[in-house]
Amino acid sequence: MKKVVGVADMKASNDPGDTLITYSLGSCIGLVIYDPVAKAGGILHYMLPESSLDKAKAQKNPFMFADTGIPRLFKEVYKYEGKKNRMSIYVFGGAEILDQKGFFNIGKRNYLALKKIFFKNRVIADTEKVGGNVNRTVRLEVKTGDVYVKTSGEGEVKI
Amino acid sequence: MNKLNQLIQEIDALTPMPAIANQLVEALNRDDCSAQDIAAIIQFDPSATANLLKACNSAYYGLSNPVESIKDAVSILGTDTLVELVLLKSSAETLSINQEGYGHHEGSMWRHAVSSAMIAKAISEKKQIGNKNTIFTAALLKDIGKTVLDRYVSGSFEKINTLVRDRGVSFREAEKKVLGIDHAELSALVAKQWNFSSRMVHMIRHHHLADPSVRDDLEIVIVYLSDCICMMMGIGLGADGLAYRFHADAIRSLDMSHDDIAMIIADFTVEMTELEDLLKLV
Repeated sequence: MKKVVGVADMKASNDPGDTLITYSLGSCIGLVIYDPVAKAGGILHYMLPESSLDKAKAQKNPFMFADTGIPRLFKEVYKYEGKKNRMSIYVFGGAEILDQKGFFNIGKRNYLALKKIFFKNRVIADTEKVGGNVNRTVRLEVKTGDVYVKTSGEGEVKI
Repeated sequence: MNKLNQLIQEIDALTPMPAIANQLVEALNRDDCSAQDIAAIIQFDPSATANLLKACNSAYYGLSNPVESIKDAVSILGTDTLVELVLLKSSAETLSINQEGYGHHEGSMWRHAVSSAMIAKAISEKKQIGNKNTIFTAALLKDIGKTVLDRYVSGSFEKINTLVRDRGVSFREAEKKVLGIDHAELSALVAKQWNFSSRMVHMIRHHHLADPSVRDDLEIVIVYLSDCICMMMGIGLGADGLAYRFHADAIRSLDMSHDDIAMIIADFTVEMTELEDLLKLV
């Protein structure tokens, strides 16, 4: 079944019939994790780096922010017997508008927030397709762990 | 026939915004505009009246008693909301068309237009800058020229995309280079053809702030910023992605911090569910 991961949303699954997909990542980050032994994985689509911006909003929807969303994604896949050390990890998005440099650069901040959390927790991403001026759509086939990314102006490719 | 004349003929073929949309925007711009004035304009348009009453009585507004006249609708929902509904309704058809060149499908351009209009209005209200109704309308219609330009973008997509991908040229600049006209210019032509005010035409024409002389026009900067926020949020993005120029100085002139912008994004994320309901309603 196709399960859409919306904006500021997360979905995890170990159902081999499921396809998880998140559309149109601009400066947001799409984080995909998958354990090939447990055959379980998930996608998080977060918008902003730090929940300190608005704690009430983070409590209501932790998937809006990197620091509250990322731990929840991992915990959700642990429920399906997923193990961190076996996981394949993919990072997409974090795009920026031309000439955006450091100013208001939500894409870069979103990516740096993820790197900080990964560093603290000794997690290394296998594949990163971040930055640039493109939008990306990402899907995960739960049965195989295959990950596909479709980039604006180009077709879909398997990672 | 040269390309410009051909494009103008294609503008004529678009389903135009009905005259009532224009009259309402003009009326709201007048300081002495009353709720009665707005009701008077709407009630002479049977199709707008029927659509509005249907929208007012939908679950979206959750009213306990049914609204049976435009007069009641104005007093319950307020003039701004009613005018917004008329504008949304009358632009939906044109802005929802699938676009092969720009890669817009399943109403993604319509979603971008409505989101941008809502964000622009929110910034205008928050910063107490400009006329929020004018800003809402300009943000809603700013990309309408894409519906005409789409076929040409599609035919020259490789050329345009190569300039964007390999030369660091913005998508708008590449349109201008390859096609001789860009979507902002064409959107302004559409607005002119539909008899919008010269101010509205000007705002639409310059919504990418390509001309440095408009970067201190705060109403246009708000429309521009709302477009940037939608791009960052990935709302209704097409094949042009985020390949437009960022003008940090213009945004600084709105006196907004990084956190202010992040907060707008967070607020709008919450409102997006409501937006989906509103899109279905219209």
